[in-house]
Amino acid sequence: MFRFAAISALALTVASSAYAESFRWAGTTDPQTMDPHAVNSAPVLGFLNNVYEGLVRRGKDMAVQPALATAWEPIGEGEGWRFTLRQGVKFHDGSDFTAEDVLFSYERASSEASDTRSWFAPVSGVNVVDDYTVDILTSAPNPLFPSSIANWMIMDKGWTEANNAARPDKENGNYATLNVNGTGAFMLKDRQPGLTTTLAPFAGWWDEAEHNITEATFTPIDNPATSVAALLSGDVDMINPVPIQDAARVDERDGTKVIRGVEARVIMLGFGHEADTLKYGAMAGKPNPFQDVRVREAVAKAINVDAILKTIMRGSAESVSQLVTPAMSGYSDANADRPAYDVEGAKALLAEAGYADGFSFGLKCPNNRYLNDEAVCQAVTGMLARVGITAELEAMPVQNYWPELRADNFDMYLLGWSPGTFDHEHPVRFLVSTPNAEKKLGSWNFGGFSDARVDELLPMIQSEIDAEKRQGMVDEVTAIYQNAHAYVPMYVQPLVWGTRDNIALTQRPDNFFILRWVTVN
Amino acid sequence: MLSYIIRRVFQSVLVLLIVGLVAFAMFTFIGDPIDNMLGQERTQEDVERLRERLGLDQPFVVQYVKFIISAAQGNFGVSYEQGRPVADILAERAPATLELAAVSGLFALSLGIVLGVFTAIRRNGFAANLIMGTSLIGVSLPTFLIGILLIYVFSVELDWLPSFGRGETVQIGGWTTGFLTGSGLRALILPAITLGLYQMTLIMRLVRSEMLEVLRQDYVRFARARGLSERAVTFRHALKNTMVPVITVTGLQLGSIIAFAIITETVFQWPGVGLLFINAVQFVDIPVMAAYLMLISLMFVAINLAVDLLYVAIDPRLRT
Amino acid sequence: MTTVTKPKSRFARFWDSDFAYNFRRSPVAMVSFAIVAILVISSMFAPLFATMNPFNPANLDLLNGFTPPGTPNDFTGERFLMGTDDQGRDVYSTILYGMRVSLFVGFAAVMLGMVIGVTMGLISGYFGGWTDTIIMRVADVQLTFPSILVAMLIFGVAKGFTPVEYRDQLAIWVLILAIGLSDWVQFARVVRGATLVERNKEYVQAARLMGRGAFPILFRHILPNVLSPVLVIATISLALAIIAEATLSFLGVGAPSTQPSLGTLIRIGQGYLFSGEWWILFFPSVTLLALALSVNMLGDWLRDALNPKLR
Repeated sequence: MFRFAAISALALTVASSAYAESFRWAGTTDPQTMDPHAVNSAPVLGFLNNVYEGLVRRGKDMAVQPALATAWEPIGEGEGWRFTLRQGVKFHDGSDFTAEDVLFSYERASSEASDTRSWFAPVSGVNVVDDYTVDILTSAPNPLFPSSIANWMIMDKGWTEANNAARPDKENGNYATLNVNGTGAFMLKDRQPGLTTTLAPFAGWWDEAEHNITEATFTPIDNPATSVAALLSGDVDMINPVPIQDAARVDERDGTKVIRGVEARVIMLGFGHEADTLKYGAMAGKPNPFQDVRVREAVAKAINVDAILKTIMRGSAESVSQLVTPAMSGYSDANADRPAYDVEGAKALLAEAGYADGFSFGLKCPNNRYLNDEAVCQAVTGMLARVGITAELEAMPVQNYWPELRADNFDMYLLGWSPGTFDHEHPVRFLVSTPNAEKKLGSWNFGGFSDARVDELLPMIQSEIDAEKRQGMVDEVTAIYQNAHAYVPMYVQPLVWGTRDNIALTQRPDNFFILRWVTVN
Repeated sequence: MLSYIIRRVFQSVLVLLIVGLVAFAMFTFIGDPIDNMLGQERTQEDVERLRERLGLDQPFVVQYVKFIISAAQGNFGVSYEQGRPVADILAERAPATLELAAVSGLFALSLGIVLGVFTAIRRNGFAANLIMGTSLIGVSLPTFLIGILLIYVFSVELDWLPSFGRGETVQIGGWTTGFLTGSGLRALILPAITLGLYQMTLIMRLVRSEMLEVLRQDYVRFARARGLSERAVTFRHALKNTMVPVITVTGLQLGSIIAFAIITETVFQWPGVGLLFINAVQFVDIPVMAAYLMLISLMFVAINLAVDLLYVAIDPRLRT
Repeated sequence: MTTVTKPKSRFARFWDSDFAYNFRRSPVAMVSFAIVAILVISSMFAPLFATMNPFNPANLDLLNGFTPPGTPNDFTGERFLMGTDDQGRDVYSTILYGMRVSLFVGFAAVMLGMVIGVTMGLISGYFGGWTDTIIMRVADVQLTFPSILVAMLIFGVAKGFTPVEYRDQLAIWVLILAIGLSDWVQFARVVRGATLVERNKEYVQAARLMGRGAFPILFRHILPNVLSPVLVIATISLALAIIAEATLSFLGVGAPSTQPSLGTLIRIGQGYLFSGEWWILFFPSVTLLALALSVNMLGDWLRDALNPKLR
């Protein structure tokens, strides 16, 4: 009986590998480096998740799972975390994975030259206990630490040092910029930056392979029309993203389908809170109306988010009331309502604030950063015009956009935020707390929103171990920034991927494309 | 003669330097690479440190002088986006653009001459008028729209030709070629037509008007009168004499083909230097943009210089 | 065309001229002229012909977005002749307003190129020597340097020197500057050639003997005699300028979407080619095609008409 099962299992493997095929996919941006510690950006980390692994990884539902560590437990009263490492793991070049590699990867990823440094701000030291045990010490209790390091990828100490790549080099590049030696399910077979990147399955992978891919090729295609054409004509098997307007077409056509989901990214409007005067429009130099909470509330009421979702987003997105989506941890159920669309109410608030005749101001917007970003800004301009305030819209490519925001050249702006830790604390730290370069707080809070109670609560949230107490504090912060209308959260950016009908895959809310969950039928 | 050459070379170098300066002035305004190089979690301190390391905190004139000095030593710097020497990247991408330019140039020249001769001989025929009319449609639509329409019809609806890329390529030394594989050749068709269509129209109209001019000349009439066949008159006598202006114009149009390749390569995701340039603009990859513009202007200045020196060689009056 | 408003006798003389006779005999020229005239007039008086001003945000209802031509909208029940785009703007009205921008940019750019080119050509041809060398050297280099790159360079630099708050308003002027400066060479070369021939003719020599200055001679005597090739080039340049503007807009350095030209409308519309909203791309493209095609046809006819040898 046992033998029969073994034989049929073998037959199954043979059958599936007979169908296994090469897989081609396209995305908008090429990962700019193969070095997992050089750049902290979604295209790089998303791609490298297929070849490198961390101590922990995220599953199909974003839950944290054991990867190179099999278990972890807190040390003492929140002094740090002890990780038990998986035994028998090999790197692609055949060398063994041990605690030394973890220590080395910590030193490398937290070094001066690394972009992933900020992940290790709470860490005070790393100790190798034995070959398969590592202690990571934190300066304050840090309940969320294990889930914050899912993208911290482990490199082989020997290979990296032998190839003079012991530290990342972003400006000049080094061996690790173009080559890979990870423990992940796929190996790098060929890399032509900007053109194609080819992966092949790693036979010595420690986990059981779910996929049936023999070779996978990635091509960056930045013109959306070209990538849709490539999918429709069968030149690629999967594209990310499908322009929202083309989703219906891709779905209807024989041989292709659309996979929809909700990304973790919240799209919102931000205000200049700190600026005393308006910078743009006919009233430039006059007092800044957005310092009045009634004006901000009027803006929130004037925006018809449902109309934006129905037309520009074609029903693929959902509205949102706070800076994170309901799927994130720390989402505040107590504050789930967003201000209703109410033109008369908005006009009344403006009149009350002394702007019955309206005013004009400058709205800044990117035109190549978020899905249909410029169209959304145009729609916002139209909706604000209906309550009597005139937005002078300037849309620009993202490479000009961030410098403009950093230089405070806006009265109102559009921003999208995806929390790297999948927790509500992340946007509070970056967007709501008072900007403070030294403490690295509020670094994307361009408008300079400031609230003493939020600043007081943030460190308490960061170190609270009791989940209920923590949520109570998060709820309080949420209520503060909602009542102050610090931002106007509008909707969650949709995820729209397109594939051939014979492809089965899993779409994760962080928009990472994980190759080991792909099957070609 | 020698002093003339020296003067011309000197002028060319001056032109190059000025083009470079203008280009650098432009980069200052095209945006800031820092945010592309640092992630979402960057701090203000990271921003300043990186600006300083890349020399972006200096005025563009200083950056420009530094670039020129190292470029003169053959060093174009390292791409911000890829972290590799720009010279390597350009060398990798050049074959794709050159092959595309060669094929579309050939397409434009051959079809342009054939149609030009045809429309000149059958000046008032229905087919000739139809061709002339259609050719105007070709120059009355922007290149990018023609490319997208071709993809829509031939890739998406008919599924005859690939929609993007070069297909399979073969590596010969440092050169990747798409000429040796079926998929490589198929992939060339749509981009080459898109890129060559405008030049084709231009050449066709030029050949037509030159032919009309030549066919009225006395020696052609004389040849006819001598009883030579219409074919011999057309091809041996008339066409031969129209070739000089055609070749000159085609040579000068070489530059346009390479420049318009930017648009064609963007539409077809053709992995050449034009696409590299557009990506560099998006990433604000200053070393790549600078090297591309300098290389392109070097090419044009060289073509110009060669043409000029050729004229001098032919026309002795210019040798002062 | 301006002659129409002049006294009858002059008009009658014009009507009887070879030029007008030729025009009346050519159906292609007449149809092209009619199309150009209709397009120019309807865009000049766009507010009269359009159903709404699509660029006043207060007029728009987002729920009208993506209404197909002639069918009522699902939410609002409104109908639009050529449908609406993603913002609920009436495509027919956007075309009228967009064509206004395109034509304005086209005409102004050609004017700029023509004024610079003709002046340079006259000076170069008349004076010769060092002046000629410098002007023609610059022209040579620019001629080999692709116009689209020249325009991109000028656009980038000019945009950088404009203060942030004026950028959107100035984008149009920067476009004119970029396209105009990139096509003056054609004019300069032709005018220089013609001037070289004219300057040795007797009437110029006579004027010189009478003690007239160089510039009066150039503009009063030589210029009228070199104008016909300039007219032909100007017509063809107009078509090229409109296309160049569209191409620059496609590359993202053209007219802003709050003040779109036909090129910007096409760039926006091409995003909807696969999704079934064909009208957003189709109508602006056809308008651009009609405009450029008829201008080109007119240019063709003009060249033949002014060059009687080829008749």
